[in-house]
Amino acid sequence: MRAASLLDVSRDRMAYLPDNPSPLARPTETPDAPAAKTQVAALTRVKSQAKPGGSAGADTTGIAFLRDRMTGWIMAAISIGSVLLAWHLATHYRLDFYVRFGNIPSPAEVFDKVIEVNQSTTFVTNIGISVRRILYGFAIAGVLGIGLGLLIGRYRWFRQISMPALEVFRPIPAIAWVPMSIMLWPSNEVSIVFITFLGAFFPILLNSIHGVEAIDPVLLRAARSLGAREPTLLFEVVLPAALPHIFTGLAVGMGVAWVSLIAAEMISGQFGIGYFTWEAYSLISYPEIALGMITIGILGLLCSSAIRLTSRLAMPWQASASPGERS
Amino acid sequence: MSAVMSPPEVAVRGLVEMQDVSIQFKVKGSAVQAVDSVSIHVQPGEFVSLIGPSGCGKSSLLNVAAGFVRPSAGEARLDGVRIEQPGADRGVVFQQYSLFPWLTVRKNVEFGMKIQGVSRTARETRARTLLGLAGLLHFENHYPDQLSGGMKQRVGIVRALSTSPQVLLMDEPFGALDSQTRVVMQEILTNMWQRLRISVLFITHDIDEAIFLSDRIYVMTARPGRVKSEIAVPLPRPRTPEMTATPEFAAMVKTIKGLIREESLAAMGGELKEGGLAGLSVEMGPQGVEGAIE
Repeated sequence: MRAASLLDVSRDRMAYLPDNPSPLARPTETPDAPAAKTQVAALTRVKSQAKPGGSAGADTTGIAFLRDRMTGWIMAAISIGSVLLAWHLATHYRLDFYVRFGNIPSPAEVFDKVIEVNQSTTFVTNIGISVRRILYGFAIAGVLGIGLGLLIGRYRWFRQISMPALEVFRPIPAIAWVPMSIMLWPSNEVSIVFITFLGAFFPILLNSIHGVEAIDPVLLRAARSLGAREPTLLFEVVLPAALPHIFTGLAVGMGVAWVSLIAAEMISGQFGIGYFTWEAYSLISYPEIALGMITIGILGLLCSSAIRLTSRLAMPWQASASPGERS
Repeated sequence: MSAVMSPPEVAVRGLVEMQDVSIQFKVKGSAVQAVDSVSIHVQPGEFVSLIGPSGCGKSSLLNVAAGFVRPSAGEARLDGVRIEQPGADRGVVFQQYSLFPWLTVRKNVEFGMKIQGVSRTARETRARTLLGLAGLLHFENHYPDQLSGGMKQRVGIVRALSTSPQVLLMDEPFGALDSQTRVVMQEILTNMWQRLRISVLFITHDIDEAIFLSDRIYVMTARPGRVKSEIAVPLPRPRTPEMTATPEFAAMVKTIKGLIREESLAAMGGELKEGGLAGLSVEMGPQGVEGAIE
């Protein structure tokens, strides 16, 4: 519908241009003049905000957009390229200026390693295990963090009964739980998932609470005056209203989950990409250290992209918001 | 199916009565009397405005009618039933934009009907009918953030009407809009009201707006708010923008302005009241306000 009305406007303008050389002289009389004027104004606003989607909006803004995109890619290439170049030069000349590059593998050595490790399934299995741990830990943290966050933010009594206990645990870093976790849980695997969960849980919880508290009370009043009662209010007003904050929590939580997972794998693990990286150090296989690090980086990047994508799908209204109103 | 689509008829429901309503707020531990023993009413199908200096508790009164605020004394009734909590029998339009940003325009309008259990197709039809009435059908699939302020408030009105309420409670709904948009919105509202014949309790601090829209106006005193005077607006229906240029209209504006000025001065401090304004009086006649001394 929106796309269609956008098209209408641009088609209207195109059809008009050949007849009249001056676009400024375009007539705007419509039956419902004042309303129509605001409508047109709104449409133009929408149009300028919407991303030209390739096929339809192939006008000047489309070209400008492509040029922007190209510039972005070139800049990104320069940015990453210069890091690689500096790394290459530092290792090539065995730079020793307080920072010592004597034992650091070169980019080429690491690249060779990529090919080598992919000749067996061990490396991929390690990645798979780490991803599985993240998914379990993060999923549980998401469900519990959002669920408790909504309840704590919405109900005073629930906040009073649960927050003091949670506040006791909150300052303890997830990594500090490693020894306790190993004793607590039946298997190594579960204890690592638990550490990952702990890392993600508090950012998600706190942001969810904040999201509920930040709701404009007028929205709740509006819903109640339309007949909404408690369960509807919670799920159809409080939850969607808190979603922007919840997704902030999920993004932060994902980052901390990776931090916690890698630390846990390095300390107590068998398998996993953190374990792979630490083992490489023990076995004095330096290129594998760098490879492990880069892999962790890429996995973290993919995970946060996945969250960004999900948030865009879950909150389609955010894409249309004017820039200042986005959170 | 919908009261909106049926032809205008004499409203039989929608009688709002407030009897000796007092409202107290706790500010830093001490109680502040916002409203003191106010009795007002809105007849079925009547358009009534509450006007007064800022802080006179007019919004608080509306909140009592909406069920958001409990009066410390007295009671509010809708068609004889005591108002205890918010409900879909009273549509509320707020001063701030109150559309759900995560729902499209049409889904916003359908929200209340969905709770009422109206079937999917029925509520879609009704939402589109109402949006058409407000000139918003083209925007049914837009999100609120894509609309202008005036359009948002129109959707707000349409949403408040969606559940077929007995009365529409409007809390300075056009307060945030620029003056041109305001005038257009007042015309749209008066036209919609003309068709729907629903009771309206309208809060405003804009005198022209109150006169243009209302059958009757209550002017309130400064805090604690009381009813200072009740003024019938004798202008014929339907109202047109040209009426705002008549001498009759100007006389009413002058009268109400005087009444409110007096209260604003009173609110600012007792010593100002000692000036020449104290002798101001209003005489009510069959034609409404006859004159005011200034």
